[in-house]
Amino acid sequence: MRRAVVLFLTLAGSLCSSLSAQTPSEKTGKVVFDKWCAPCHGALAPQHTMFVNGALPGTAALAVKYQGKVPAVLEQRTDLKPAYIRTVVRHGLYGMPITRKTEISDAELDGVISYLTENHKK
Amino acid sequence: MVLPPNVSEADFNAALNEFRSAAGAPWVFTSDEDVALYRDSYSIYWGEPEERVASAAVAPAKVEEVQQVVRTANKYRIPLYPISTGRNLTYGGSAPTMRGSVVLDLKRMNRILEVDEKRAFALVEPGVSYFDLHHYIRDRNLKLMIDVPDPGWGSPVGNSLDHGAGYLTSHFRDHFGSHCGMEVVTPEGDLIRTGMGALPNSETWQEFRYGAGPYIDGIFTQSNFGVVTKMGFWLMPMPETYLTGTVTVPRYRDFEALIEEVSYFEDLSLIGMPGYGSPIGGGLLGAPSPALTALMQNGWPSIDALESFVTAQNKPAWSADLNFYGPEETVRANWQAAKRRFAKAIPGAAFQDGELLPLPIPKEQEATQGDKPRLGIPALEVFTITSRNPMTNSDPADGHADFFAYVPRKASAVWDAARVMYETYREMGVPPMHGPFSTPINYYSRCFIMATLVPTYRNAAKNARSRELFAKIMDRCAEHGWGCYRTSPAFQDRLMSKYSFNSNALLRFHQKIKDGIDPNGIISPGRYGIWPANMRGKRA
Repeated sequence: MRRAVVLFLTLAGSLCSSLSAQTPSEKTGKVVFDKWCAPCHGALAPQHTMFVNGALPGTAALAVKYQGKVPAVLEQRTDLKPAYIRTVVRHGLYGMPITRKTEISDAELDGVISYLTENHKK
Repeated sequence: MVLPPNVSEADFNAALNEFRSAAGAPWVFTSDEDVALYRDSYSIYWGEPEERVASAAVAPAKVEEVQQVVRTANKYRIPLYPISTGRNLTYGGSAPTMRGSVVLDLKRMNRILEVDEKRAFALVEPGVSYFDLHHYIRDRNLKLMIDVPDPGWGSPVGNSLDHGAGYLTSHFRDHFGSHCGMEVVTPEGDLIRTGMGALPNSETWQEFRYGAGPYIDGIFTQSNFGVVTKMGFWLMPMPETYLTGTVTVPRYRDFEALIEEVSYFEDLSLIGMPGYGSPIGGGLLGAPSPALTALMQNGWPSIDALESFVTAQNKPAWSADLNFYGPEETVRANWQAAKRRFAKAIPGAAFQDGELLPLPIPKEQEATQGDKPRLGIPALEVFTITSRNPMTNSDPADGHADFFAYVPRKASAVWDAARVMYETYREMGVPPMHGPFSTPINYYSRCFIMATLVPTYRNAAKNARSRELFAKIMDRCAEHGWGCYRTSPAFQDRLMSKYSFNSNALLRFHQKIKDGIDPNGIISPGRYGIWPANMRGKRA
């Protein structure tokens, strides 16, 4: 639990400092990310669940895949490319399913891409 | 481009133009790139000719638009496949049952039409997700709890129509059982409301489900008899507290009495879905220990051998997590009553007090809250079971096909089903997922589910093997009278062929309904084995 709280505070702090600098597209992107992506790819996971403790499916899968070479939490990545994000969101990857345009529109996906690539500027 | 069967390109294009008039041009998807987004991500036929791919998709936002699309489909004999949120993964996702169908994507019908806090019901459209409904209630501080399935991105409407279930007390976690009132566009484009919804000026559409005359809501589940555009649901008043407690029992044979006692509390609606487990391990979610593996070397052990094994492990054989909802006074009293009854019924029963949580869980604590579905909080954490993990890292699956066998609510049935699944896996040369300590799921309170997950891939050779395993499990379970309740389009004909009493009289009755209300056979041809007359007999 303590680790989760520290993570939360770290993330909250970095988000607060960057919110004012966000473009409208990035702000839209964060809203869409929180709704559609965070339940699997968020930073915060329960320490005890009915399934695998301390894990969200996307974040846990990326931790196994990358073994610490890049952050498992998408919002901490600085290497994500727009075309890659678009392809994975639309067509899925391993257990992550396809996302239709009636779920996330092209404009909303552009926002997610802006949001997830804003770290490139830092 | 894929065309619907027996439809000319000219007619198809004419229909698409009329769909554009109905729903708006941006909401008719015809390019290969857009139509590919309606593929089933977990298809067990991915990339093969048998994959059920759409010809196009249309996404209306209003019921009048749905009616217009349905009338056009009749005019040109275009098969339509309605989806709600399209997240029915492992059961077909957003892909149609029949290749070439036009997906009728209802995701844009996403209005929460009413939530009545005092009368504890909601009325929603198909595109509303469990996340949406939860956030709506939470953000308005309404004192209500929704019952959610494991994946929260699904639709209360779609989940109910496919017999999905959740975690609260039994009368809420049967999602179809907790619905009250439907609005349905018929296959010919008419509009009906069921129950009290048929009575103009009625104010009880979401309170009295039967109205007068035949109760027909059930025929719209797992079928192709209409397009459901609204559904009402009864909701749980927000309990003041949530209390958990765990019972453990020492002997292998104690499972029978444990189930009987848990079921007593279930059938009185004093607990939510119980969580059966075994401290010995080796169930669906736990790899067998080396000692258990050694015990299984010569096949399925006898009960006496298992009893000796449990004794040697110095651990309880079984556990049950109990979940109580209500005022603190009553949940504590019910847990005390449970302790008294279990202690009397099962010598050596032991108890561990769980946490008492005041409800609702504050919004800022939801992300780190454990057991979300048991608290009515939508989540996707269930996918940690199947997502990439250290054991699958070298070859992660792309999806899974779930098989849930419904077995009697008794220990001997659990053991029999676990053994049959174990032997089927072994016969297929696949590491078994079940063992003598496998435990059941209890989504529906009056029977048990023995579950297994077969991996699916975007690889034809691997999928061929998964299909063979899945079919064999379905066949073996049916031979024992253990029916599966829900499956992907790839296996719906096979599944319905198992429900064969009196020369498939039930399926024949379904077909008669189909012929009567959908003479052109335009709604979801083939769904759960119900094919239109002109396609019948040409399929497996």
